[in-house]
Amino acid sequence: MTKRGYSLQHQLIIRTALLMIIVFVVLSAGVWDYAKRAADISFNRLLNSASLSIIERITVRDAQIDLDLPYAALSILELAPDDKVFYEVLDHRGQHLTGHQQTPAPTGYHPTSRPEFYNAYYKGEAVSWVIQSKHLTAPIANGWVVIKLGQTRRARTELADEIFYSALATLFGILLLTLLLVWLGVRRALQPLSIISNNLHAQPFNNRQPLQNTPIQEVAPLVDAINDYQQQLLTNLTTMKIFIADASHQIRSSLGGLQGQLDIALQTTDSHELKSRLIKIRHEYQKLTRLTNQLLAHALVTHRSDSLTPQKIKLNTLVEELLTEVVRDYAHTDIEFSYTAADQPIQLPGDKISLKEALKNLLDNAVRYGPDNNQIDITLGRIDEQTIEIIIDDSGPGIAPHQRRQALQRFSCLNPAISGSGLGLAIVETVIQAHQGTLKLDRSPHGGLRVFIRLPGTPL
Amino acid sequence: MKITFRLWLFVLASLLALPTLSSVKNPSSESTSLIIYSATDTDAIQPIIDAFQLIAPTTRVEYKEFQTSELFQTIQHIPKEQMPDLVISSAMDLQIKLVNDGYAQAFNDPVTEALPDWANWRDEAFGFTYEPVVMVYNKTAFEGKPIPQTHEDLALAIRNNDSFFMHNIATYDIRLSGVGYLFASQDEINSSISSRLKENLGRVMTQLYCCTSEIIQQIASGDALFGYNLLGSYAMRYAHNEPNLGIIYPQDYTLVMSRVAFITKHAAHPENAKAFLRFLLSLEGQKIIAQDSSLIALHPKAQGKFTASALQQAYPLRFKPIPLGPALMVYLDQLKQQRFINEWNNAIMYDVVVP
Repeated sequence: MTKRGYSLQHQLIIRTALLMIIVFVVLSAGVWDYAKRAADISFNRLLNSASLSIIERITVRDAQIDLDLPYAALSILELAPDDKVFYEVLDHRGQHLTGHQQTPAPTGYHPTSRPEFYNAYYKGEAVSWVIQSKHLTAPIANGWVVIKLGQTRRARTELADEIFYSALATLFGILLLTLLLVWLGVRRALQPLSIISNNLHAQPFNNRQPLQNTPIQEVAPLVDAINDYQQQLLTNLTTMKIFIADASHQIRSSLGGLQGQLDIALQTTDSHELKSRLIKIRHEYQKLTRLTNQLLAHALVTHRSDSLTPQKIKLNTLVEELLTEVVRDYAHTDIEFSYTAADQPIQLPGDKISLKEALKNLLDNAVRYGPDNNQIDITLGRIDEQTIEIIIDDSGPGIAPHQRRQALQRFSCLNPAISGSGLGLAIVETVIQAHQGTLKLDRSPHGGLRVFIRLPGTPL
Repeated sequence: MKITFRLWLFVLASLLALPTLSSVKNPSSESTSLIIYSATDTDAIQPIIDAFQLIAPTTRVEYKEFQTSELFQTIQHIPKEQMPDLVISSAMDLQIKLVNDGYAQAFNDPVTEALPDWANWRDEAFGFTYEPVVMVYNKTAFEGKPIPQTHEDLALAIRNNDSFFMHNIATYDIRLSGVGYLFASQDEINSSISSRLKENLGRVMTQLYCCTSEIIQQIASGDALFGYNLLGSYAMRYAHNEPNLGIIYPQDYTLVMSRVAFITKHAAHPENAKAFLRFLLSLEGQKIIAQDSSLIALHPKAQGKFTASALQQAYPLRFKPIPLGPALMVYLDQLKQQRFINEWNNAIMYDVVVP
């Protein structure tokens, strides 16, 4: 399911390149349009000045329309040296007066003194034309004289191409420069990452120093996070070492006690004393079994909280199942159980087995440390929309306020008279923490211990 | 007298106008043929064709000679399949008009890079000669007299001494000669005194001819004393053998005419036409022009008396080549042409003597 590894640097550069190419294409289209229009505007001016110089030479002479074609008109157009020139003058009746024959006109042309520009093919060439008219009011010639002047588009195309390609070259240069800058920027930005990983690689696992603080603001949180994480990991490691040392000490002393009792029992000949020795051995054995179970349970809940993805748990059902089991186990005693739950069932995300184990531990503790006529109350309630509360009260001796913190630590046994592994509350705390909840000890109304558990959960 | 002269002239012109074939008439579909329609004396062009035949011996060259305006009309009216491959004419304006109207195809070749800008239009029309427009005089007649060195000088000289020049100046009849018309119109564009000069030429009953060669013969023989706006190429060749003939390259401006060649759009043998044009513009071909033809080579590297570079060295800062371009079409405008010929008539022939 994990994504295949990819290079941030490549991805950034490729994405920037794609973006720039899109920008490049869009700008190129704009530049192309601009180049064409710029070339057209310049050469249309040329065309128009030629047509103006022709139109002002149109006169009426000897009862005829006459044109003295000025040399300047066509020599102006030689500014586009390789372009052909066509022109035609039509008289007031629309008859050909001079110039080329049957030159094209724009559709729907109405004679006006304003020049009008259009493109049309003539003699197999693409030609840009200007058409312009002059109104004559002489008695023999009353009407519009029309001049059409055209020039092939070679110089226009060349100018447009020149504008286009030089702009394109500039754009391309900017594109390359941007890519270079992005490449340099990305390299520079990602450099701290490789420095950090090199530092981490260089240190031996057992001797981790915190990473040096960096002046780069964007990287400082990462360094802090790594240092925090490392610190936490080292703390956990230390805790684990102590736990293993403690656990092995407990197991060894239990085994040692057992061994001693067995040795004494072997040398005993008195059957009465042998029986009392066996009872002690049995007691030691129970202690050891309980210890082993708790250790395994602890390992189990730790493992599960580390690795399992949370599922939805119906808390009411879970507690009721648990109560059913416990009540059955203690049916022969005088212990009273009560169970109160809010109207609405509650559900929460978590690991059902761990949670059940934790609650079971609490109930077991309540039974174990309480009197024979113990009263144990379980209450499920809601604090608000996101938080639920489990309260377990007993009427046992309780825990004095100054001892409550110690009670949660592993292998702490407050009352040496009662055999406990010292793991029960530690398991509970591990589970509750894994469920992002809190555990608090207090005094119950019956004078015993009250355990508050708050967990994130919602009504079903 | 003038009328008879004209009649004679007309007959001559008609004779010249008759198409003459220099080689065997052949169906032009043969891929080894090359058909050239030209308004240049066959004598002048023959050495070039001969030299071309040496490098392309299998090509059969059909050379057909025309008058300039007749050639112009022919190209405009013959069907596409009868188009010649190459058109050569000294009437630069008419050639430009044909190219402008789409009768030519492009010839892109490294050989054209040696050409000056004014001699190449659109890579379609190419000037290949460098022929100054000169004044020619009879040295004996002008002994002890100042030789006019500019157009201004000439106008002044005529005014001051009209009896000397009366009936003794000869120039082109622009109604008959396309080249003469081109020179007269270029005078109009390039000189502010061209109208004054025309008036003066008219006052002394300037005689009108169709061709440079005739005018030069008249001057050499003493029938005329001064020729205006003549083709320098003919004048130089003639003066080479006739020491009595003086040539003036006017200092204010000396127009330079260039014969123009183009390959037709519908040429049946474009490859042959290109080969010939390539040869014509190459240094090799230009050397032939300088040495053997009666024309003057344009190529800047061509050496010898009859080359552009020799002329520019001997008579610096005066040559004004007529540039190939659409502006040449101004004086071909129907109304403009009528007006110009009218004005010219009024100036030159205001005093027609009726015999």
